[in-house]
Amino acid sequence: MGEKTICAISTPLGNSAISIIRMSGKDSLKIAEKYFSSKSLNYKKIEERKMYLGAFKAEGISEKCLFVYFRAPYSYTGEDVVEFQIHGGEYLAKKILEILAKNCSLALPGEFTKRAFFNGKISLDEAEGVIDIINAETQAELSSAYNLSSGKFNREISAFQKSLTEVLAKIEVALDYPEHDEELITTKEAQKVLLEIGDKLEQIIENSSSGQKLKSGVNIAICGSPNVGKSSLLNALLGRERAIVSSVAGTTRDTISETIVHNGIKFNLTDTAGIRSEGDEIEKIGIERAKKEIENSDLTLFVVDLTRETTEEEKALLKELDKEKTIVVLNKKDLAAERKLSGYTCVSISAKREENISNLLNLIYEKTIANKIDLSKIVLTNMRHITILKEAKKLVDKTLQTLDSMSLDVVAFEIKRVWNELGKITGETETEEIIDEIFSKFCLGK
Amino acid sequence: METKFDMIVIGAGHAGCEAALAGARLGKKVLLTCLNLDSVAFLACNPSIGGTAKGHLVCEIDALGGEMGINADETSIQIRMLNEGKGPAVHSLRAQVDKIAYHCRMKKVLEENPSVFLKQAEVTEILVENEKVIGVKTALGESFFAGAVVVATGVYLKSRIIIGEFSQNIGPNGFASANGLTQSLLDLGFEIRRFKTGTPARINGRTIDFSKLAPQEGTDGISFSPLSKNPNKNVAICFETATNLKTHEIILKNLKRAPMFSGEIKGVGPRYCPSIEDKIVRFPNRERHQIFLEPEALSTNEIYVQGVSTSLPADVQNEMYASIEGLENAQIMRNAYAIEYDCINSQELSPSLESKKISGLFFAGQINGTSGYEEAAAQGLVAGINASLKLDGKSSLVLKRNEAYIGVLIDDLVTKGTNEPYRMMTSRAEFRLVLRQDNADSRLTEIGRKIGLVSDERYQLFKKKQEILEKMRKKLEILIKIDEKTKKFLKENQEPIPSGSIKAIDLLKRNNIDIYKLNETYDLFSEEETRFMDTINTEVKYSGYIKQQNDEIEKLKKQEEVSLVEVEDYFKIKGLRIEAQQKLNKIRPETLGQASRISGVSPADITVLSIYLKTRKK
Repeated sequence: MGEKTICAISTPLGNSAISIIRMSGKDSLKIAEKYFSSKSLNYKKIEERKMYLGAFKAEGISEKCLFVYFRAPYSYTGEDVVEFQIHGGEYLAKKILEILAKNCSLALPGEFTKRAFFNGKISLDEAEGVIDIINAETQAELSSAYNLSSGKFNREISAFQKSLTEVLAKIEVALDYPEHDEELITTKEAQKVLLEIGDKLEQIIENSSSGQKLKSGVNIAICGSPNVGKSSLLNALLGRERAIVSSVAGTTRDTISETIVHNGIKFNLTDTAGIRSEGDEIEKIGIERAKKEIENSDLTLFVVDLTRETTEEEKALLKELDKEKTIVVLNKKDLAAERKLSGYTCVSISAKREENISNLLNLIYEKTIANKIDLSKIVLTNMRHITILKEAKKLVDKTLQTLDSMSLDVVAFEIKRVWNELGKITGETETEEIIDEIFSKFCLGK
Repeated sequence: METKFDMIVIGAGHAGCEAALAGARLGKKVLLTCLNLDSVAFLACNPSIGGTAKGHLVCEIDALGGEMGINADETSIQIRMLNEGKGPAVHSLRAQVDKIAYHCRMKKVLEENPSVFLKQAEVTEILVENEKVIGVKTALGESFFAGAVVVATGVYLKSRIIIGEFSQNIGPNGFASANGLTQSLLDLGFEIRRFKTGTPARINGRTIDFSKLAPQEGTDGISFSPLSKNPNKNVAICFETATNLKTHEIILKNLKRAPMFSGEIKGVGPRYCPSIEDKIVRFPNRERHQIFLEPEALSTNEIYVQGVSTSLPADVQNEMYASIEGLENAQIMRNAYAIEYDCINSQELSPSLESKKISGLFFAGQINGTSGYEEAAAQGLVAGINASLKLDGKSSLVLKRNEAYIGVLIDDLVTKGTNEPYRMMTSRAEFRLVLRQDNADSRLTEIGRKIGLVSDERYQLFKKKQEILEKMRKKLEILIKIDEKTKKFLKENQEPIPSGSIKAIDLLKRNNIDIYKLNETYDLFSEEETRFMDTINTEVKYSGYIKQQNDEIEKLKKQEEVSLVEVEDYFKIKGLRIEAQQKLNKIRPETLGQASRISGVSPADITVLSIYLKTRKK
C-alpha cells in the first residue's frame, strides 16, 4: 500500500480560475523539487502546510504557482503530499500532470481516498461518502453523500447499536449472574427497544428506496395513443430534438430514453410507442415494451390530444394505470379548449409551443420527490447500505419472534446478529469482502 | 533426593495440581512444590466449584482428562444446575464442596501418582541458561533441574492482606507468602503487576438463626464427570439472606476506613466480583444485595457468607454482619480481608501459555491475572499438557475460541490481556450456543485422547455415550401416524395437526413440545437413553441456531488459518497505523484471527495485513 507515488488533477476539468494538482507518496517532495522553485523555499528546511509562491519550470513552461507540502501522516492520504495551485485551463493542468507523471504514476479514480482509508485517516463510511461525492451527478445526490461523509448516518446507526448493546448487557447479566437479583431484563423491555429500532430502520429504508432514485434517477414513462404528441412532449421536456417527430402514427416503434435534471434530481424520460389495439408486428413488440416501461416507471405521463375526443381505447388504457403514479398531460392546448379528466392529476400544455412545460415539471417533481422523500432526513443512495439495513430489519423481526418462543441465550444470539449487521456500516464488523466490494467501485472509471 | 526431573511445577493450587497431573499422566517425572502442603488445592475463597461459565470450564477440564471435575464430584455436598430456564447454552453446574475433603482428596491423588513428587518448598529463583529454563532454586538453597517449568504461584507472590487499617505480608488464610520469586521474574524481564481480590468472613453456624432464612437445596442425579464413582451427596443446605439499608448505612459511615477508598490498596480489583463496599458505592439505589450462606465443610460449623467480601476494619465487620437478617448474633470466626499480590502481564505469553522470551517456562492461574479456581485449573491443565508436548518435541495444544471456553480464556489472556482479575463469563464466548456443558465431551475428548490424557475408562464411556446418542437420533427419524393418540397429543399441546404421518423429530421441533412430553407419549427411549434426553432436545430445538453459529465459525476459520509467524517487523508494513504496529510487534499474534482481536488493531489494519500477506506470497 502506498508504495508508488501517485498524482492527479484534483479540480474538475473545464473552465476555472485555478487548478490544483496533487501528488501523494514518499517521492512526492523529491519530484516537486525537480520542477518547483521559490526564493523563500529551501527544500531541506521546508515548512509543512505553508504556501510557497514560486514557479513550476519544465519543458519550456514557466508557470507562476502556489505550492504546499503536507508531511506524512498529517495529510489527506496519510502519506507525504504536495499540491500545486496553478492557473486554470485544461491544457496547462494536463501539461503539468504529464510532466509529473514521468516521475510517478497517475492516480486511479478515488485512489487518494483509498490510501486515506488504508492509512487510517478516514473511516469506511466516510470513504464511501467521499466516493459517492466524487461520483455524484446531481445536487440531491451530493447532499446525501455529504450526510454520509460527515458521519451523520454513522451516528444514527451507532445509536441503534448502542441501544442494542444496552439490552444485551442486561441479558448477559441475567445469564451470567443467575444467583443474584440483578435487575433482570424483561422481554417487554427488549421488545420495546427492538420495535423502536425496527420502526426507525423501516423509515430509513422507505425514505431511501425513494432516495435510491436520487442516484439512479426517477423513471418516467411517456405513453398514450399514437400521434398525440408524446415525442413532442419529450422534446419539449428536453428542450431539444431527440425523438423522431412525425405525424405518421406509429413512428416511434422502440422506446427512447433521455435524462434531464430538474431541481437537482435526475429524471429518466422514456418515450414509448403509441398504444393501440391494431398494428403491425414490429409495433406490437414496441407496445409490449411500452407496457413494461410503464410497469417499471415511477410515474407515467399519459398524453391525450385535446383536439380529439377521449377515445374508449384511451379510457380503457387509463383504467389500467395507477392513479397515484399518473399525470394526464392534455396536449395541444394551443389548438383546442382545455378540459379535465376527473379523478386524475391533469395538466394542459402545448408541447409544440413549449407552453406550461415548467408547470408540468414541477408537478412531476411534486408527485415523485417532494411528497415522497424528506431530504432533511437521512436519505441513502448507497445500495450496499440499503441492503444492509434491509437485512438488519429482517433480523430485528426475527429476534422479535424469538422473544416469545426461545430462551434468553438464543435471544442474545439474535440481537448480536442485528448488531453485527449494523456494524457492517459503522465499520465495526467489516470484513475483507466488504472492503473489496466498496473499493471495487473506485475502478469503474468515472 | 533426586534433583533431575522432566518438569517442575511451582505451586500446588488448582492450576499447579492440574499441570502436575497432566505432566505425570503424559509420562513425565514431575516435581510439584508448594509453600505449605496443607494448602494443596485449597479453596481459599468460596467452598464451591462451578457456576456460570465456570461450570463449563470444569466440564471441559474433565472432558480433556483433568482432575477438577472428579475431585469436585467426589467431595461435593450439594450440587445444582443454574440458569435452567434461560437456555441450554447457559446451563451451569455449581457444586458446594467440602473444602477439607477437596484438599485431602486432591493431595492423595497427587501422592498416589508414581510420577508426581510433591514437596513443601519455596522456589525463590528460576534458573535460565541461554533463554531456556533449566530448573529452579529454593529458599533452602536446593536446586532442581528440568526442561520445563510451570509457574502457578496463585496469589502468593509478595502477598499482603488488608483488614481496615491493619495489613500484614502474608498469603490467604494465614499461610505464608512467597517473597523471593518476584525478583527472579523481574530479573528475567517480566512485567510485574499488582492485583487485588478479597474474601468474606466465616461465621460459626451455631450462631446463625437459620429459621428466618430461605433454604436452598441441591438437585439429585447430576455431576461434572461421568467418571465420578460417588457423585453428589446432597447433604448440605445453603441459605439465602440479604443486606439491608442498615447494613449500607454502616458501610457508608465507615467508608473512609475502607482501604479500597483510603488509598491503602493499590492493586486492581475485579469488577465482576466486587467487595460489598464497592457494590454499595457503585449501585447507590439498590436497597438490598443478595447473600448466600454456604457451609465450608461437613466436619466444621464454619459458614461462608457469599456476597459480602470486604476489607473494612474488624469492628465495622462485626457491626455490619450483625445487621443482616439471620446473622444478628453471628460470631465471626475468620475475618473478611482483601489480598494484594504480584502477577505478570499475560500478553507476554504465547497461546500455549509458554513465555515468549524464555523457552520452556510456562505460566498458569492467578499469576496470569485471572481469578477463580476453575480458570486456574483450566490454564494449569493446558500449561501441563504443553510443557509435556514441548519436552516431546511436539506442537502445542491451542484450543480455538469456537472449541472451548478454555480457548476463549487463554486467547483473551494472551491476545487482549487483562487489567483486572479476569473472570470467565458466558458472554465472553461469541460461540456460546455451541460451547455447552452437555457437549463438552464431544468437543474435547477426542483431542484429549489424541494427546494421551484421556484414560481408557473415560474414552469407553465417551464412545458408549456417542453410540447411545446416535441410536436416539435414529429413533427420532421414525414416522408417527396421525392416529387418535397423536391427534390428542397435538391438541393438548395446542399444535396444528398435519395430514398423513410425521417424523418424531419434526414433532419435537414444534414450539410447545419437548422431548419429555414426546417420550411420555410414545415411549421412544430406553432407560440408559433417557439420561441424554436433554442433549438430544437441545440438538433438535436449537439446530437452526447452532447451524448459523457453525456457519460463522466456518467463515472465521479462514482468518484463523493465516499464519503471521513469519512477519518479522510490523513497522515495515506500510499502511498499518502506528498503534497497530506497536501492538502487533509487542504481542506477535500467531494468526490473522488472533491479530484481529487485539485491541488497538482495527479491521482496516487487518485488511492491510491480509493484503500485505497476499502480495508477499506472489
